[in-house]
Amino acid sequence: MSNEAKTSKNAWLSLLLAGVFEIGYALAVGGSEGFTVLTWSLVAVVFFLLTLYALSLALRTIEVSIGYAVWAGIGAVGAAVLGPVFFDETLTLAKGIWLSVIIVGVIWLKLADRTKPEAVAPAPAPQQVTDRPGALQV
Amino acid sequence: MHWLYLAIAVAFEIAVAIAAGKAEGFKNRKWTAITLISGALATFFLSKSLLTFDVGVGYALWTSVAGVGITVLGALFFGQRLNWNKAIGIVLVIGGVVGLQLSGSA
Repeated sequence: MSNEAKTSKNAWLSLLLAGVFEIGYALAVGGSEGFTVLTWSLVAVVFFLLTLYALSLALRTIEVSIGYAVWAGIGAVGAAVLGPVFFDETLTLAKGIWLSVIIVGVIWLKLADRTKPEAVAPAPAPQQVTDRPGALQV
Repeated sequence: MHWLYLAIAVAFEIAVAIAAGKAEGFKNRKWTAITLISGALATFFLSKSLLTFDVGVGYALWTSVAGVGITVLGALFFGQRLNWNKAIGIVLVIGGVVGLQLSGSA
Protein backbone atom coordinates (compact mmCIF):
# COMPACT_ATOMS: atom_id res chain seq x y z
CA MET A 1 0.00 0.00 0.00
CA SER A 2 1.33 3.43 -0.86
CA ASN A 3 1.86 5.95 1.89
CA GLU A 4 -0.99 8.05 0.56
CA ALA A 5 -3.41 5.16 0.64
CA LYS A 6 -2.28 4.25 4.12
CA THR A 7 -2.77 7.81 5.35
CA SER A 8 -6.24 7.86 3.85
CA LYS A 9 -7.17 4.53 5.40
CA ASN A 10 -5.98 5.66 8.82
CA ALA A 11 -7.88 8.91 8.47
CA TRP A 12 -11.12 7.07 7.71
CA LEU A 13 -10.51 4.73 10.62
CA SER A 14 -10.03 7.77 12.86
CA LEU A 15 -13.25 9.24 11.49
CA LEU A 16 -15.26 6.08 12.17
CA LEU A 17 -13.76 5.93 15.66
CA ALA A 18 -14.65 9.58 16.20
CA GLY A 19 -18.24 8.70 15.23
CA VAL A 20 -18.31 5.82 17.70
CA PHE A 21 -16.85 8.06 20.44
CA GLU A 22 -19.53 10.62 19.62
CA ILE A 23 -22.23 8.00 20.21
CA GLY A 24 -20.59 7.21 23.55
CA TYR A 25 -20.51 10.92 24.33
CA ALA A 26 -24.22 11.37 23.55
CA LEU A 27 -25.25 8.36 25.62
CA ALA A 28 -23.01 9.33 28.54
CA VAL A 29 -24.28 12.92 28.52
CA GLY A 30 -27.81 11.51 28.70
CA GLY A 31 -26.86 9.06 31.42
CA SER A 32 -25.18 11.77 33.50
CA GLU A 33 -28.67 13.21 34.21
CA GLY A 34 -27.59 16.83 34.14
CA PHE A 35 -24.10 15.88 35.41
CA THR A 36 -25.43 14.64 38.71
CA VAL A 37 -24.23 11.05 38.17
CA LEU A 38 -20.46 11.03 38.63
CA THR A 39 -19.54 7.90 36.64
CA TRP A 40 -21.50 8.86 33.52
CA SER A 41 -20.23 12.43 33.81
CA LEU A 42 -16.61 11.28 33.78
CA VAL A 43 -17.32 8.91 30.89
CA ALA A 44 -18.89 11.84 29.01
CA VAL A 45 -15.80 13.99 29.50
CA VAL A 46 -13.50 11.18 28.31
CA PHE A 47 -15.63 10.57 25.20
CA PHE A 48 -15.76 14.32 24.53
CA LEU A 49 -11.95 14.51 24.45
CA LEU A 50 -11.65 11.27 22.47
CA THR A 51 -14.15 12.31 19.81
CA LEU A 52 -12.48 15.73 19.46
CA TYR A 53 -9.03 14.17 19.14
CA ALA A 54 -10.03 11.45 16.68
CA LEU A 55 -12.01 13.93 14.58
CA SER A 56 -9.12 16.40 14.42
CA LEU A 57 -6.78 13.59 13.32
CA ALA A 58 -9.21 12.50 10.61
CA LEU A 59 -9.74 16.03 9.32
CA ARG A 60 -6.04 16.44 8.61
CA THR A 61 -6.62 14.21 5.62
CA ILE A 62 -10.34 14.03 4.96
CA GLU A 63 -12.16 17.07 3.64
CA VAL A 64 -13.81 18.91 6.54
CA SER A 65 -17.36 18.90 5.16
CA ILE A 66 -17.29 15.18 4.38
CA GLY A 67 -15.72 14.45 7.75
CA TYR A 68 -18.35 16.41 9.65
CA ALA A 69 -21.17 14.80 7.67
CA VAL A 70 -20.01 11.26 8.39
CA TRP A 71 -19.21 12.03 12.03
CA ALA A 72 -22.51 13.79 12.75
CA GLY A 73 -24.44 11.08 10.91
CA ILE A 74 -22.87 8.23 12.88
CA GLY A 75 -23.38 10.08 16.16
CA ALA A 76 -27.03 10.93 15.55
CA VAL A 77 -28.06 7.53 14.19
CA GLY A 78 -26.15 5.76 16.96
CA ALA A 79 -27.72 7.87 19.70
CA ALA A 80 -31.23 7.31 18.29
CA VAL A 81 -30.79 3.56 17.95
CA LEU A 82 -28.85 2.90 21.16
CA GLY A 83 -30.78 5.32 23.40
CA PRO A 84 -33.62 2.81 23.85
CA VAL A 85 -31.06 0.06 24.56
CA PHE A 86 -29.47 1.90 27.48
CA PHE A 87 -32.33 4.00 28.79
CA ASP A 88 -36.04 3.77 29.38
CA GLU A 89 -36.89 5.12 25.91
CA THR A 90 -38.80 3.87 22.90
CA LEU A 91 -38.10 4.53 19.25
CA THR A 92 -41.57 4.73 17.69
CA LEU A 93 -42.16 4.74 13.93
CA ALA A 94 -43.11 8.43 13.89
CA LYS A 95 -40.07 9.33 15.95
CA GLY A 96 -37.84 7.23 13.70
CA ILE A 97 -39.18 8.84 10.54
CA TRP A 98 -38.82 12.43 11.74
CA LEU A 99 -35.40 11.73 13.22
CA SER A 100 -34.35 10.31 9.85
CA VAL A 101 -35.50 13.50 8.13
CA ILE A 102 -33.48 15.59 10.60
CA ILE A 103 -30.39 13.41 10.30
CA VAL A 104 -30.54 13.38 6.48
CA GLY A 105 -30.93 17.16 6.70
CA VAL A 106 -27.84 17.65 8.84
CA ILE A 107 -25.73 15.30 6.70
CA TRP A 108 -26.97 17.13 3.58
CA LEU A 109 -26.14 20.47 5.16
CA LYS A 110 -22.59 19.45 6.05
CA LEU A 111 -22.01 18.05 2.56
CA ALA A 112 -23.46 21.18 0.98
CA ASP A 113 -20.58 23.08 2.55
CA ARG A 114 -18.29 21.50 -0.04
CA THR A 115 -19.45 23.82 -2.77
CA LYS A 116 -17.12 26.50 -1.48
CA PRO A 117 -18.08 30.00 -2.53
CA GLU A 118 -15.56 31.15 -5.10
CA ALA A 119 -15.23 34.47 -3.34
CA VAL A 120 -13.95 33.06 -0.06
CA ALA A 121 -11.39 30.48 -1.06
CA PRO A 122 -9.57 29.96 -4.30
CA ALA A 123 -10.68 26.79 -6.04
CA PRO A 124 -8.74 23.86 -4.61
CA ALA A 125 -5.81 22.94 -6.77
CA PRO A 126 -6.39 19.70 -8.65
CA GLN A 127 -3.39 18.30 -6.84
CA GLN A 128 -5.25 18.55 -3.56
CA VAL A 129 -7.78 16.03 -4.76
CA THR A 130 -5.23 13.50 -5.91
CA ASP A 131 -3.53 13.90 -2.55
CA ARG A 132 -6.53 12.29 -0.99
CA PRO A 133 -7.34 9.06 -2.74
CA GLY A 134 -10.21 8.41 -0.34
CA ALA A 135 -11.95 11.69 -1.01
CA LEU A 136 -14.93 11.75 -3.30
CA GLN A 137 -14.45 13.92 -6.32
CA VAL A 138 -16.97 16.44 -7.53
CA MET B 1 -37.61 24.27 30.24
CA HIS B 2 -35.94 21.50 28.22
CA TRP B 3 -36.36 23.53 25.02
CA LEU B 4 -34.63 26.48 26.67
CA TYR B 5 -31.75 24.28 27.82
CA LEU B 6 -31.52 22.87 24.31
CA ALA B 7 -31.43 26.37 22.81
CA ILE B 8 -28.58 27.37 25.13
CA ALA B 9 -26.73 24.15 24.28
CA VAL B 10 -27.18 24.93 20.58
CA ALA B 11 -25.80 28.45 21.03
CA PHE B 12 -22.66 27.12 22.71
CA GLU B 13 -22.28 24.43 20.07
CA ILE B 14 -22.31 27.13 17.40
CA ALA B 15 -19.62 28.91 19.44
CA VAL B 16 -17.61 25.66 19.41
CA ALA B 17 -17.75 25.53 15.62
CA ILE B 18 -16.62 29.14 15.26
CA ALA B 19 -13.87 28.84 17.89
CA ALA B 20 -12.61 25.51 16.52
CA GLY B 21 -12.32 27.15 13.12
CA LYS B 22 -10.08 29.84 14.60
CA ALA B 23 -8.03 27.43 16.73
CA GLU B 24 -5.91 26.42 13.71
CA GLY B 25 -5.83 22.72 14.45
CA PHE B 26 -5.73 23.53 18.17
CA LYS B 27 -2.38 25.28 17.86
CA ASN B 28 -3.85 28.62 18.90
CA ARG B 29 -4.18 28.38 22.69
CA LYS B 30 -6.74 31.12 23.24
CA TRP B 31 -9.19 29.77 20.69
CA THR B 32 -8.53 26.21 21.79
CA ALA B 33 -9.49 27.23 25.33
CA ILE B 34 -12.64 28.95 24.06
CA THR B 35 -13.48 25.83 22.06
CA LEU B 36 -13.14 23.57 25.10
CA ILE B 37 -15.05 25.88 27.44
CA SER B 38 -17.88 26.34 24.95
CA GLY B 39 -17.92 22.58 24.41
CA ALA B 40 -18.18 21.97 28.13
CA LEU B 41 -21.04 24.45 28.50
CA ALA B 42 -22.82 23.04 25.45
CA THR B 43 -22.47 19.57 26.92
CA PHE B 44 -23.78 20.68 30.30
CA PHE B 45 -26.91 22.29 28.89
CA LEU B 46 -27.45 19.39 26.48
CA SER B 47 -27.37 17.12 29.48
CA LYS B 48 -29.97 19.26 31.27
CA SER B 49 -32.24 19.07 28.23
CA LEU B 50 -31.78 15.28 28.04
CA LEU B 51 -33.40 15.00 31.46
CA THR B 52 -36.61 15.42 29.45
CA PHE B 53 -35.75 14.63 25.81
CA ASP B 54 -34.87 11.12 24.72
CA VAL B 55 -31.13 10.93 24.10
CA GLY B 56 -31.54 10.25 20.38
CA VAL B 57 -34.09 13.03 19.95
CA GLY B 58 -32.26 15.67 22.00
CA TYR B 59 -28.91 14.87 20.45
CA ALA B 60 -30.28 15.00 16.88
CA LEU B 61 -32.09 18.29 17.59
CA TRP B 62 -28.96 19.76 19.14
CA THR B 63 -26.50 18.87 16.43
CA SER B 64 -28.85 19.63 13.52
CA VAL B 65 -30.16 22.97 14.76
CA ALA B 66 -26.57 23.98 15.55
CA GLY B 67 -25.68 22.98 11.99
CA VAL B 68 -28.43 25.22 10.62
CA GLY B 69 -27.25 28.04 12.89
CA ILE B 70 -23.65 27.68 11.71
CA THR B 71 -24.76 27.78 8.08
CA VAL B 72 -27.01 30.80 8.56
CA LEU B 73 -24.43 32.73 10.62
CA GLY B 74 -21.77 31.80 8.07
CA ALA B 75 -23.91 33.39 5.38
CA LEU B 76 -24.78 36.45 7.46
CA PHE B 77 -21.42 37.28 9.01
CA PHE B 78 -18.64 35.17 7.54
CA GLY B 79 -19.12 35.81 3.88
CA GLN B 80 -20.23 32.31 2.99
CA ARG B 81 -22.93 32.00 0.41
CA LEU B 82 -26.22 30.24 0.86
CA ASN B 83 -26.98 27.99 -2.08
CA TRP B 84 -29.82 25.66 -3.00
CA ASN B 85 -28.08 22.68 -1.47
CA LYS B 86 -27.72 24.38 1.88
CA ALA B 87 -31.31 25.60 1.69
CA ILE B 88 -32.51 22.03 1.14
CA GLY B 89 -30.54 20.87 4.19
CA ILE B 90 -32.00 23.68 6.30
CA VAL B 91 -35.56 22.89 5.14
CA LEU B 92 -35.07 19.18 5.90
CA VAL B 93 -33.83 19.91 9.41
CA ILE B 94 -36.56 22.42 10.21
CA GLY B 95 -39.21 20.18 8.67
CA GLY B 96 -37.95 17.26 10.72
CA VAL B 97 -37.93 19.26 13.94
CA VAL B 98 -41.47 20.54 13.34
CA GLY B 99 -42.67 17.06 12.38
CA LEU B 100 -41.09 15.57 15.46
CA GLN B 101 -42.77 18.16 17.63
CA LEU B 102 -46.19 17.90 15.94
CA SER B 103 -46.18 14.11 16.13
CA GLY B 104 -45.61 14.44 19.86
CA SER B 105 -42.28 12.64 19.71
CA ALA B 106 -40.10 15.43 21.06
